[in-house]
Amino acid sequence: MPDKPIEGEKRVFMTGNEVVAWAALAAGAEIMYGYPITPQNEIMHYWTRLAPRYGREFLQTEDELSAGFTTCGGVLAGRKAFTATAGPGNTLMQEPMSMAEAMRLPTVVVIQQRGGPSTATVIYSQQEVTMTTLGGNGEGLRIVYSTANHQELFDYTIKAFNTAWKYRFPTFILGDGYQAKMRESLTIYDPDIRGIELVQAEPFLGKPGVPGVDRPPTQLRNTYNVEEELYEVLEGYFKDYEKIAPEVAEHEAFGLEDAELVVVSHGVVSRACKAAVKELREEGVRVGYFRPITLRPLPVKALRETAEKVGKFLVVESAQGQLARLLKEAAFGCPVEMLELFKPGVGITAEDVVSRVKEITG
Amino acid sequence: MRCISGRIVEAYIGEYASGKSEVAVNRALLLAARGRRVNLVDLDIVEPCYTLRPLKKKLAEMGINVVAWETREMMGLGETGSIFYPANRWALRFPGDVILDIGYGVEGAKTLNLVEGAATDPDLKIFAVVNIGRPMTGSVQEIVEYVRSLGRVDGLINNSHLGDETTVEFVQDGARMVDEAARQLGVPVVATTVLEELARVIGTRDAAGHPVWPIKRFMPHALW
Repeated sequence: MPDKPIEGEKRVFMTGNEVVAWAALAAGAEIMYGYPITPQNEIMHYWTRLAPRYGREFLQTEDELSAGFTTCGGVLAGRKAFTATAGPGNTLMQEPMSMAEAMRLPTVVVIQQRGGPSTATVIYSQQEVTMTTLGGNGEGLRIVYSTANHQELFDYTIKAFNTAWKYRFPTFILGDGYQAKMRESLTIYDPDIRGIELVQAEPFLGKPGVPGVDRPPTQLRNTYNVEEELYEVLEGYFKDYEKIAPEVAEHEAFGLEDAELVVVSHGVVSRACKAAVKELREEGVRVGYFRPITLRPLPVKALRETAEKVGKFLVVESAQGQLARLLKEAAFGCPVEMLELFKPGVGITAEDVVSRVKEITG
Repeated sequence: MRCISGRIVEAYIGEYASGKSEVAVNRALLLAARGRRVNLVDLDIVEPCYTLRPLKKKLAEMGINVVAWETREMMGLGETGSIFYPANRWALRFPGDVILDIGYGVEGAKTLNLVEGAATDPDLKIFAVVNIGRPMTGSVQEIVEYVRSLGRVDGLINNSHLGDETTVEFVQDGARMVDEAARQLGVPVVATTVLEELARVIGTRDAAGHPVWPIKRFMPHALW
């Protein structure tokens, strides 16, 4: 059996779903639990083809509730476990992932967004932002990376396992049906050669030493007897989350120095926005580009600094304002006008963005 | 004995995203450009949304009989399954050449069983499309193992590329690897398919001496 799924690095041509399977292998994921749903199926297809070659495992469950809970179980047993889903599967996944939030389990979930509500379309959308960032009962104690291309799908899937196991919050990769099915070249690599140290998984139970004597007892609970117990635990979680948020938050931006209008987008739509902003700037339009890479936590500081100095945000998304809602909360009190280009469940091109910006700037 | 103007019947199979549809579309157009009557048949029943339908109208305008669903005639693409386009069953009875674009992998290759006469058609050739830029078929050994898993294969097509980043060297590396894999498999290499602009540099034969088929990229317009 070969030791490493990827030796050195290699330029390849793949679909986004395959990228995720290879990245999970490279990240040292030990087991995937899953239930099929379009457009994420090939993550499972490729994982099941590749996993036996490298001594990894797979379990197909009866539905997404089970896929989510078995992922929690795998993590509790000290395994790097992950699952992938979309749309109505993501809806079901929210209950197990709420438990992961409650128990601080480093689960990794890959979402390839499809149209909603319900089964709607199998194709594409950015309509799972609200659900993926804040979908559980509770407080949204989780980390969400929104990728824009195949290289990022690879890089951030590896990163997601490290983030999850380092900070012990459930971590999500938020892709979409276009990224899932699109074919694109990228470099796949052994994380070692890039100096990426993989955070090791460890079992939650059966640690050495006598509980209460040699080490604090392991207390794994998602149910509490009284309100105050829960309150105390959550207060601790909020402190932890607040502390790590600035370390975890990521964004990319350009053209902010002279911008009067900043185009804000995430995921695959940011590719169109980037192209549009570049084109407009070449024409002399004072427009900037801002893209949160983490949707939870948002890069609040950078966002507020931008919102303080530019007059207008144009929020562009393939949803009816799900990103915009998060931005409005993050930028509350800043003197910025929020304009929109929303196409729920439909792709957005650079031409769409250019013409909307011109409509605004006149 | 078949004469040179005889009927051409080719089925393109292979790994997911290996370029089956791209090669099939280009092959159909090449034959049509020679004045031949061509039927292009979409047999991907797993994810038919991905294949030829978005190009149907354009190809029809170019003189090809595209046998496939209209997107809006379909119900619930993807996991709900799709109904086999009835005319596809009789694809091998259509007058003229028949180019079959098949779904991916072993299960895709089995789709041919749904076509009447596929097992006995004297003209049918089944070609496996290989791109060494695909990690599952990135080495000679992997190509051999993969093609063996597909069942009957009558020839290999080297369709090695890296999308917009494709270089002549990459295509030629593919030509040499596919040539070696074909030797081990005991099947011929039919051609190297390569973008027109690179084909001009390579010439009419690839590094392993096999024919070069210049192609245009159509599939970027077929995204879902």
